[in-house]
Amino acid sequence: MSETLIVAEHLRGAMRDVTGELVTAARLLGNPVAVAVIARDPSRLEVTYEGVDEIVGVPVEQAEFENDVYQHALEALIAERQPEVVLLGFTVNSMGYGPAVAAKLDLGFASDVHGLALDGEAVIATRSFYGGKVDAELEFPEGRPVLLLIRPTAFAPAPSGGSPSTSAFSVEVPSSRARHVDFREAAVGDVDITTADFLLSIGRGVGEQDAIPQFERLAEKLGAVLSVSRPLVDAGWMPNARQVGQSGKTVKPKVYLALGISGAVQHLAGMKTSGTIIAVNTDPEAAIFNVAHYGAVADLFDVADELEKLS
Amino acid sequence: MKIVVCVKQVAVLGDEVEFTDDARDVDPDFLDASLNEWDSYATEEALRIRENAGSDGDEIVVVSVGDGDVEPAMRRCLAMGADRATRIDHSGSRDPITIARLLAPVVNAESPDLVFCGVQSSDAVQAATGTALAELLDLARVAVVTRIELDTGARRATVHRELEGGLVDVTEVDTPALLTIQTGINQPRYATLRAIKQAEQEPIQLVAAGEEGEPAYRVRRMFAPPKGEGAELLDGSAADIARRIAGIVQERLK
Amino acid sequence: MARDPKYDILFEPIQLGPKTMKNRFYQIPHCNGFGSEKPLSQAYFRAMKAEGGYGACCTEYCSISPESDDTHRVSARLWDDEDVKNLSVMCEMLHEHGALAAAELWYGGPHAPCMESRSVPRGPSQIPSDFEYLTYAKEMDKDDIREVQQLYVDAAIRAREAGFDIVYVYGSHSYLPQQFLTPYYNKRTDEYGGSFENRARFWRETIEQVREAVGDDTAIAVRMSCDMFMGDAGTQLERDCLPFVELCDEIVDVWDINVSGISEWGEDATPSRFYPSGRLLPWQEAVKKVAKKPVLGVGRFTSPDLMVDAINSGKLDIIATCRPSISDPFLPKKIDEGRLDDIRECIGCNICISRWEIGGPPVICTQNATAGEEYRRGWHPEKFDTAENADNDVLVVGAGPAGMECAMILGKRGMRRVHLVEAADDMGGIMRWIPQLPGLGEWARVVNYRKIQIDKLRNVEFIPGTTLDANGVKEYGAEIVVIATGGYWVGDGLNGCTHDTIPGADASQPWCLTPEQIMRDGKDVPGARVVVIDNDGYFMGVSLAEKLASEGKKVTLMTHLGHIAPYMHFTLEAPNQHRKLHKLGVDIVTSHMPSRIEQGAVVATHVFDEDGHEQTWEADAVVLVTQRRSNEALYRELKDSVGFDTLRGEGITACYRIGDCEAPRLIADCVFSGHRLAREIDSENPEVPKPFIRERRVIERELAAV
Repeated sequence: MSETLIVAEHLRGAMRDVTGELVTAARLLGNPVAVAVIARDPSRLEVTYEGVDEIVGVPVEQAEFENDVYQHALEALIAERQPEVVLLGFTVNSMGYGPAVAAKLDLGFASDVHGLALDGEAVIATRSFYGGKVDAELEFPEGRPVLLLIRPTAFAPAPSGGSPSTSAFSVEVPSSRARHVDFREAAVGDVDITTADFLLSIGRGVGEQDAIPQFERLAEKLGAVLSVSRPLVDAGWMPNARQVGQSGKTVKPKVYLALGISGAVQHLAGMKTSGTIIAVNTDPEAAIFNVAHYGAVADLFDVADELEKLS
Repeated sequence: MKIVVCVKQVAVLGDEVEFTDDARDVDPDFLDASLNEWDSYATEEALRIRENAGSDGDEIVVVSVGDGDVEPAMRRCLAMGADRATRIDHSGSRDPITIARLLAPVVNAESPDLVFCGVQSSDAVQAATGTALAELLDLARVAVVTRIELDTGARRATVHRELEGGLVDVTEVDTPALLTIQTGINQPRYATLRAIKQAEQEPIQLVAAGEEGEPAYRVRRMFAPPKGEGAELLDGSAADIARRIAGIVQERLK
Repeated sequence: MARDPKYDILFEPIQLGPKTMKNRFYQIPHCNGFGSEKPLSQAYFRAMKAEGGYGACCTEYCSISPESDDTHRVSARLWDDEDVKNLSVMCEMLHEHGALAAAELWYGGPHAPCMESRSVPRGPSQIPSDFEYLTYAKEMDKDDIREVQQLYVDAAIRAREAGFDIVYVYGSHSYLPQQFLTPYYNKRTDEYGGSFENRARFWRETIEQVREAVGDDTAIAVRMSCDMFMGDAGTQLERDCLPFVELCDEIVDVWDINVSGISEWGEDATPSRFYPSGRLLPWQEAVKKVAKKPVLGVGRFTSPDLMVDAINSGKLDIIATCRPSISDPFLPKKIDEGRLDDIRECIGCNICISRWEIGGPPVICTQNATAGEEYRRGWHPEKFDTAENADNDVLVVGAGPAGMECAMILGKRGMRRVHLVEAADDMGGIMRWIPQLPGLGEWARVVNYRKIQIDKLRNVEFIPGTTLDANGVKEYGAEIVVIATGGYWVGDGLNGCTHDTIPGADASQPWCLTPEQIMRDGKDVPGARVVVIDNDGYFMGVSLAEKLASEGKKVTLMTHLGHIAPYMHFTLEAPNQHRKLHKLGVDIVTSHMPSRIEQGAVVATHVFDEDGHEQTWEADAVVLVTQRRSNEALYRELKDSVGFDTLRGEGITACYRIGDCEAPRLIADCVFSGHRLAREIDSENPEVPKPFIRERRVIERELAAV
C-alpha cells in the first residue's frame, strides 16, 4: 500500500513535538499518512494532527522505549502494511532501532534529513554533509521502502485537528535484549534554562574555564540566565542542565544572545525558534548567523567587556 | 575480553569548498582529515575498561573501512593503546548500511565481547552505522551511551543512555553487545611522541571488502547550502555593538 | 582565499596631490630606533610593511637640522647628502613593492635637547620645554623665522632627492609649527603671535614655501593635533584647528589628524588599558567635514570592519596605523586574502613606544617577535624556511607566551611533530590571568592568535591537563626538548632593593598574597585594608591596587622607588593610571621599603632616612609584588639529577629553556625567546643566540697576531 508510515515518538506518557513535525513531512509526499503508536497503552497518547489518516495502536508489554521492541514492531508493521516511506524522528530512540531495521530489511535509508521532496514518484531527501557545510540531495533504491530519520525542528509541527481512523496491530516481541530499568534526571542545576526569557549563551569561543565567571557576572548584570553549548559541558566546565542543543535542552526565550557559538546543527536545533537571536562571533561564516536576527562579527570578549560597562 | 572499536577518519572541510565535476561530492583538495571525535571517546572507553578490569590479556582491536588514507586515524588509536588494527579496503559508497555490511564479517570474525562505535561521525552525522552493524552481527545494542558498568559474570552491562534534555535512561543490556559511545563519557588520553612513533611502526592488517550490497542512498547532487538572509549586521566598534545589543534586548524584553 | 567584498573600499586607490596611493592602508610616521644611521634596519623594517600591502610607509620624525636633535631618542635625519643616501634605500625598497614613501620633516624647537649636536634650538617664545626642562630655545626674530623655514625647504628638497613621494610639515605632538599655533608656546606680540591668523602664519608660510619648492611632484602632508586637552592655552578644535584646515586646505595634499601634545601623548597613542580602537575618530570626522583634501589618521585600528566603517561613515579617507603595523606588517594582505584570523592584532601595550621613550633601543613588539629584526636577524614575519633538522620531534613543556610562540614557529618551520604540553587545561600561562587585570582584556590576543595558529598547524599538537616530571620528559619520545615552565612571584618578599627577603613575609599565610594567588588561584584578600608592596616598577602593582580598590578595599601602594610604576611612563600609561588610582582613593607611598611585615601591619622606612625611622601601616592583607623567580625545577632536575648524557641515551639530543623559566622578563621578551630558539633550532648551538648584524662603521686594519 502506498502510504507513509510514521512511528510516534513519546516519552513517559507524553507525545513529543517531533511526531507532529513528522506529519508535516509526511504530507509532502502525498500518500496517506499512518502513525504507529508503540506503547503499553497506545490509546493514552494523543495523535491529533491534521493530515493523519490512520492511527495504528501497537500495544507492547514494555512501559518505556526499548530498541528491540520497536524494531520488531516496525519490522512487523512494514511486512504487513508495505509502506513506501517510513519516517522516524532523528532522535536518540530512533538511533537505537531505525538503522537496524534498514539493515535487516535492506531498505533505502538516510538520517538527519531536513528536506523532503518528490521527483515524479521518487522520494528525494536533503541532508547535510561535511559537518553541515554542504547539503546534498539523495535518491533511493527503487522497489523497496525508504526509512528516513527526520531532523527535529526541520519541519513545522502539523496543526492540530484531523479525524483519523484508528486500528490496532498486535506484535509478538520475542525478547528485549536491552531493557529499561530506570530514569534519572540530569543533574539538577540551580536554574531551568527553558523558562528564562533572556539567555546569554556561551560556546567554545570563550576558550577556557577561567573565562566563565566573567560571563556569569555579565549574565547577572544583564538579567539573563547563562546557558552553554555542548563543548563546555563535555569539558566538565558547566553542568548539562545549562546546555542548549539536541542533547541538552530546547529553549525558546524572548532573547537569545550567543557569544562565541559557531552554531553546530545540534546546537541550532535547540534554540533557533527563539524570539530574537543575536550572535557575536569572530567567524563571519559561522552557521549561527544563518539563524540569527542580528549578528556582529567581533571579538566576544571585547563586546562582553563593553556590555558589562553599560549595565 | 576482546573489545572491537570501529573508527572512522572524518573529513574536515575548511572555509572554502569546491565540488567535483559531477557535483556529487566535494573536491578532495579541500578536505583535511582527522580521527572522528566520538571514536576517540570510544577508544578511550575501551582502554579504561581494560585498565579497570586490571587484566592484561584483554585485547582492543580497531577496525575501519576505507582506503590507505584512513590509516592515520587508526594509528592514533594504536598510539592511545589499542593493540591491533584492521583496515577493510573500500572506496565506494559510504552510506552507513554499506559500511555496516563491510564491517560485519570482519568484526564477527573477532568474536568480540563488546563492540564500540561512536554515536555519529562529525562529518556525515548519520548516527546509524553502529546500530546497523549491531543488527548484522545480531548483537544486543544500546545507542548513545554515556556510562558503562560491566557485570561480566552475569553477562550483562548496565549502561546510561542519554536522552534529549539530559535525561538518563538506565538500561540493562545483555552482553556481548554493541554500544554507540557519546562524547563526554570520559576524557580521551593523549598519546606521547613515543607511543605515536611506535604506532607508526605497527602493521595494519589489510582485508579485502566483502559483499557491499546496494547502497542505501545515492547522492544526486551536492551543493553549498543557501545562506540565511536573516542576520542584520551590527557594525562598528565593540562599544557600538554592545550599545546596539543592549538596545535590542531592552526592546524585546518589554 | 578571496577578499570579502565589504572590504573593497580599503583597496581603492586615492590621489594625494601628484601621487597615487594604491590603497587606503598607510603606515603613519612612527619611531623604530633606527633613524638614518642604521639605514638598512630602517629600510628593511619599513619595506616589510610595503611587502605586507601598505600603500604608503613613513619615516619616523625626521630632523631637518642639527638644531633639531632629540638625542638620546632616535629620530631620522636629513641634514646632508649622506643622510639622503641612507634614506634612499628605504625609498627604493618601498617603491619595489608599489608603496609611496613619506618623510615626516621635523623641527622640535625647545623640545629637542640637542645633546649630540650641541646646537641651540629656535622657538616662538623663550620658555623651557614642558618636559625637557633644561632646554631653552632662542626666541625667533624675523631672520630666524626665514632661516628655519629655509631649513624646511632644504630638507624637503633632500627628501625628494632621496626618493620620498610625500613630505610632511609636521606639527603634531607640539613641535615647532604647532608651537606657533598654540598660545601655551607662543607668547609673541608681533604678526606671528596673538590672533589665529598670526599664530597660523608660520605654519602656513612654511607649507607654502615647501610646496613651492617640491609640490609639483611631491605630495605635501600636514600632521596636526586638533586638541591638546589644555583648554584655551592649548590647540583647540574649533578655535584653531578647523580654521587652519580651511585656511590651508588648498596648499595641503593630505591631512594627518591626531590629538594631544607631547607630554601626554598617550591620549594619541592610546594604550588599550584606557581606550578602545578608534578613539580619535570624532576629531578626524570634524576635520573631514571641513577639508576637501583627503584625511588620514590612526586609532589603533585592528578590525577591518571598523576601518571600513570609518571610511564609509565619512570620518577618514585613509586608515593609518602605527602599532597595528608593527604587530602585523601584513595586515592589508591578510584582509585582501580573506585571512582575518591570521591577523596578529595589536594589544595596545605600548611596549614598542616604551623603547623610543627610553631613548636608544630598537623597537620591539609583544605580539610580533620579528619587529625590528627584519634586517639585523633576517627574520620575516610570514616566511619560515624548513629547519635543517626538521626530521625531529619536539616536546615543548609549558604553553605560556614563550612556549606557544616556540611551538608555533617550530611548526611553521616544518618540524616533524611538535607536542606542546601544558599542565593547566588551556594555553596561555601567565597570559590567562594577566588579561583579567583591569583594562588588559586586549592582551588576551597574545593567546588567541597563537591558539588559532597552532590549531591550524597539522604538525603541532596541544596537550592540556598534563604535568610532566623529569621522568615524563625523559620517556616522552621527543628528540628535542624545550622547557618553558615560566616564573612566579615570590612569597617571601625577596626584592631588588634590599636583595633579601622581607622579615615576616609569608604567602602561605591567609593575610599575605602574591599576584598569582589572587588572580589565578582565587585566594581571598581578607579584610578592608590592603598594602601592596611594589618593588617591580611596571604594571603588576598598580593593576592589583586598581583592582582591589575598585572592589572596595582601602589600598596603600608602597614602592621603594621614587615613582610608582616608572616603566609606565615609557608606555604612556602613567598619567591615566595615576588619575585612576587617585580617583579610587589609593594611597601612594614612594621611597619606602618595608623592614618587616606582620599580621595586621607593614612596617617601613624611608629609603633615604639614614636613621631608619620606622612607620607603621595597618593592613588586613599584604600583597607582595616584590620580584619574580624562574620555575626552573624541571630544567634543573633534567640537567643536574638526570643529566643530559642520560637524556641523550634516551634519544633526546638537546634540552633548552626559554622565557621566564630561564630568567623573568617582559612578555615581549618571552615571546622573542621562544621565537628565537625556533628560528635557530638548526644552528650549531641553538642555546646561544646567533650574532645579529650591528650597523656600525668598521675600521679596516691589520690586527697584530695574538
